Amino acid sequence: MVETWMFWVIVIIYMAITLSVGYMGYKKTKGSDDFMLAGRKARPLIIGMSYGATFVSTAAIVGFGGLAGELGMGLIWLTALNIGVGILLAFLVFGKRANALGHKLKAVTLPDLLGKRYNSPFMQYGPAIIILMGMPMYAAAVMLGGVNFLQVALGVTKDQALLGFVIVTAAYVIGGGLIAVMYTDALQGTIVVSGMTFLLVFTYFTLGGVTTANTDLTNMATLVPSGLAGQGMTGWTSFPSFGSPIWLTVVTTVILGVGIGVLAEPQLALRFLTAKDAKHLNRAIPFGAVFVLLTTGVAYTVGSLTNVYFYQNTGQVSLNAAGGNVDQIMPLYINSATPDIFIAVFTVVLIAAAMSALSSIFHTMGTAAGFDLWTHIRRKLRPDADVARNSRTTILSSRIGMGVMIVISVALAYIMPASIIARATIMFMGLMASAVLPSYAQALFSEKPSLRAAKASLVVGAVSWFIWTALVHNAESSVLGISNFLLGQPSALPLPWQNIDPLVIGFPLSALTLIVVWFVDKHYLAEKEVPSNGRSESAQ
Amino acid sequence: MERTVREGGLSMILGIEDPTIIVGYAVAIGLTIVCVLYGWLNRDKGEDSNG
Repeated sequence: MVETWMFWVIVIIYMAITLSVGYMGYKKTKGSDDFMLAGRKARPLIIGMSYGATFVSTAAIVGFGGLAGELGMGLIWLTALNIGVGILLAFLVFGKRANALGHKLKAVTLPDLLGKRYNSPFMQYGPAIIILMGMPMYAAAVMLGGVNFLQVALGVTKDQALLGFVIVTAAYVIGGGLIAVMYTDALQGTIVVSGMTFLLVFTYFTLGGVTTANTDLTNMATLVPSGLAGQGMTGWTSFPSFGSPIWLTVVTTVILGVGIGVLAEPQLALRFLTAKDAKHLNRAIPFGAVFVLLTTGVAYTVGSLTNVYFYQNTGQVSLNAAGGNVDQIMPLYINSATPDIFIAVFTVVLIAAAMSALSSIFHTMGTAAGFDLWTHIRRKLRPDADVARNSRTTILSSRIGMGVMIVISVALAYIMPASIIARATIMFMGLMASAVLPSYAQALFSEKPSLRAAKASLVVGAVSWFIWTALVHNAESSVLGISNFLLGQPSALPLPWQNIDPLVIGFPLSALTLIVVWFVDKHYLAEKEVPSNGRSESAQ
Repeated sequence: MERTVREGGLSMILGIEDPTIIVGYAVAIGLTIVCVLYGWLNRDKGEDSNG
C-alpha cells in the first residue's frame, strides 16, 4: 500500500495545477464562442494533445488494457486503427471539411453543424438526443476506470473517489468552458504520456527485456483458460482463430467498433471546429498520433504482458489473478509490480486520463442539453420569443445542462456492473457511428445533401443499433433480458450472429439507407436546393 | 520460466511468432511516422483557409 502522505502530496499538487489552469481558462472566457469553441483559435499542440487526451481515457488504459490482459496483443490493431482512422483520416478528410464548414456556418457543436448544414431543427436535436441517451453511460465508464484503480491501490471508497473526480472536473468545465477543458487536457495528456512511457520501459525491464518478455508470453499459450480456448483464443501473442467467437468480438466489437466509431464522436469532432484554419490542423496531427501510440499501444502491450508477471509471481494468468474482473487487471498489476512512488504517480496518470476525457464528455453533454436541445424546447414552449443565440443565455443553459447530465452519469456509475468499462465505451461509439456518421459524412462531402436521406439514416441507424443491442448481441441482450422476456432466450439469434457487434449491423444499414434515399430524392433536389448559410437565427 | 521456441513454431520477431501481431505493431508505428511526416511537410499549408 502506498504511503498515504505521498499520495496526498502528489494529488494535491496535481489538483492545484489543474484548477489553476482551469481558472486561467475561466478568466479568458468572455463569450459563447470562447465557452463553446475556445475562441476558434486553439493552437496545434493544444488541439492535438486535447484530441488525444479526450480520445484516450481510463477506459483505454484500465478497460482496454485489462481486455488485452485477457485476450492478448491482437488489440494492437485497435491502436493501428485509432491512428489510421481516428487521427489521420479524421483530421485530413473529416477534420478539414468540418473546420471549413464550421467557420462558414458559425456552428459551435456537431449537432449545430448538422442542423445548419441541413437547415433542419431535427438534424440538430435528433443527434443531441442520441448523445444524451448514450453519453452518460460512457461518462460513467470513464469514471469507473479511475475509481477502480483508486480502490485497489489506496483503499479509498467508491464514493470518495467518484465525488473527487466529479467535483474537481465539474468545477473547471462548468466555470471555464472549452478553453479550460483544452488547456487542462494538454497538461493531463503530458502526464499520461510520461506515465505510460515509463510503464512500458519498467515492464519490459522487469520482465527481462523485450524479446525475453514476449517469448515468455508466447510460451504461455498452453495456459490460456479452457473457457477462452474453447472460444478461439490461441495465446496472448497470437490472433484468435478466424471466425471464432473471440475473433468476432475482437474484430467487430473492439477493433471496428472503436476504430470506426471514433469518426462520429461529438467531443472529438468539436476539436476540429476550434482550429483557426487547416494549417493548425496539419500541425496538430503529429501530436495526436504520437499520443495515441504511446498511450493505447502501451496499454495493450503492458496489459498482455501482465500475464507473464502474474504467472511468475502467483502462478496464475492475469484474469484469474484479478478474480475474473477484467477491469481489475491493470490496477492490480500497477499496485503489485511497481514501486510505491510510481503507484502514487500512476494514480495521478489515471486521474489525469479520466479527467481529460470526462471534462470533454461533460462539456459535450452540457452543450447538447443546454444548447442543441434546449434551443428547440424553448422555441416550442415560447414560439413568439426571440431565440437568437444570446451569449450569456447560451453559457448559462449549457452550464445547467452540464450539471444535470453530470448527476445522471454519477448515478449510472453506481449501478453499472463490473467488467463494463470497455463495453460501455464501445456501445457509445457504436451508437454514434450507426446513427450519426453517414449523415455527418454526407453533410461534409455532398454538394447537395439530402435532408430526407439524412433523417432516414439517423433513424434507421439508431433503431437498428438499439434492436441489435437489446435483442441479439449477447453481451447486452442477455443482461437486459428483453429477448428472454419476449422469446424465452437470452439472444434472438444463434451463433455467430449474437457475437457480431451492433455497429456492424447499424452502420451499414444506416449508410445504405442514406444512399438509397438520396438516389430516390435526387430527382427533387434540383428544385429545392439546401441553403448552405444556415437557419434564420443568427449566431454571435 | 523455461524459454524454448515451441516445436514447429515459426521464426520469432522480438519473441512474437504470429505475423498478424507483428504486422499490427508495424502498422501502428508506421502510421505514426506517416502522421509525423505529414504534419511536418504540411506545417505551413492551409493558412487562412477560412478567409
